[in-house]
Amino acid sequence: MRKFFYNIRKYFKYAIYSAKAELKSEVADSYLNWLWWVIEPICFMLIYYFVFGVIFPNNEKYFASFVFIGLSAWEFFNRMINGSVKLIINNRDLVTKVYIPKYILLLSKSFTYLFKLGISLLIAFALMLYQGVPFTWHFLLFIPILIILYLLSFGIGLLLMHFGVSFNDLANLTEIGLRMVFYVSGVFYNITSRLGNRHVGPIKIGGFLLKANPVAFCMDSLRRVMLYAKLPDFKFLLIWLVISILLCAWGVHVIHKNENSYAKVI
Amino acid sequence: MADKKKIAVTVKDLHITYRGLKKTSIRASWKNFGNKIELFHALKGVSFEIEEGKILGIIGTNGAGKSTMLRAIAGIFSPDKGKIDLHGNTISLLSIGVGFNKKLTGRENIFLSGMLLGFSEDDIRKKEKDIIEFADIGDFIDKPVKTYSSGMYSKLAFAITAILETDIMLIDEVLSVGDAKFKEKSYNKMKELISDEHRTVIIVSHSLDTIEELCDEVLWLNEGEVVKIGKPKDILPEYREFMKD
Repeated sequence: MRKFFYNIRKYFKYAIYSAKAELKSEVADSYLNWLWWVIEPICFMLIYYFVFGVIFPNNEKYFASFVFIGLSAWEFFNRMINGSVKLIINNRDLVTKVYIPKYILLLSKSFTYLFKLGISLLIAFALMLYQGVPFTWHFLLFIPILIILYLLSFGIGLLLMHFGVSFNDLANLTEIGLRMVFYVSGVFYNITSRLGNRHVGPIKIGGFLLKANPVAFCMDSLRRVMLYAKLPDFKFLLIWLVISILLCAWGVHVIHKNENSYAKVI
Repeated sequence: MADKKKIAVTVKDLHITYRGLKKTSIRASWKNFGNKIELFHALKGVSFEIEEGKILGIIGTNGAGKSTMLRAIAGIFSPDKGKIDLHGNTISLLSIGVGFNKKLTGRENIFLSGMLLGFSEDDIRKKEKDIIEFADIGDFIDKPVKTYSSGMYSKLAFAITAILETDIMLIDEVLSVGDAKFKEKSYNKMKELISDEHRTVIIVSHSLDTIEELCDEVLWLNEGEVVKIGKPKDILPEYREFMKD
């Protein structure tokens, strides 16, 4: 663990610089340039709003903001997971030519995703203002919730990054897994009101989906504090925080043990 | 004089095997379930030492394990058996264009590549001018790297690693980049870098003339084992004989 923090300190600036470089190069060739970072999330929100607000109407309060917050959190998680599976292979040039702690690659990637999440959140605030969502102190609780979401996706990402090196099919499997998680996380519907009373055997699906699926849980908590001035379930927040930290620690351990062999495989 | 000097690199009984994390898919691992994984021994017990300030050339046929050894010394591979001790020296593998992002300008890539090699932003800023001057690619330094010709690309890459110096430099066949003029310049720069009496250099090259001119010692590898180590004038004639067969 000491090694981990030492490395983070040592390579932090590189991670930031490389994240900036990547963001810059991402938009370098397009006409609308950085505007895409704003246009893209808005367009996706409009699509979901149209499909689930107009075609299949519902009576969720502040539905546009509701969708947008869910979508922002989901996109972050989705990008982290998708980005980590092939991270080592995509950085083949780097990995085979110079030593760098491999989680720095993920850290750097995560900065670009955080940046995009930040933009999404700014748009969400604007949207909430427009829809007249009352701002309360509960709102500030979105910070710890996002930290948990970050740690969770970082931990899972580390493990996927490791296994993705030697296990080619992992990319296909995560693709399927993510699609499933997307639909059960309630990005565009409210789990509690849609599934709250439905049972499969003895299990209440709504409650189960919300609590056993950390993405759904984070999303739901974000909406509670940002839109409805309610408190999140602190007990489960704490549980997921602990699980996330454990996942990160496990991931770092696995990477430390194996990272010098990656160059041999790819 | 030799025994007064400090040892810069110690390699002891180095074994490197390609295996373990072998690429696999569900189908492949199903079929191979229970089978032994194939092993490829790239290095089989190599040992040597280099004194500080010396220049070691590594020669050998393709697949002899030369590049594997350099990468192991640079810390990119971990040894499967044996030890590599750098005695606390900083090290860099001089390779072309590590960590370049082709959509960014040359100037930005200097920082990207330099920070990756472990230099701080301030260090690089101090040397930025020297690098640009040495690379000698004119206005292209502020254009995206993807617009570079392959010569310019190599020139910039070479300049970065040559100007940002480390105690130990590992060079893998990059002495001939760019046009004739730059080649001469980089060759001279290389000699200048190498002739610094505190800098230890390991060169892998197929050009025996280069090795003969630059190196104090030569290590001859064949199929992962040391054939001989010694002075260039003793080893090179024998190696030339060997290559004729």
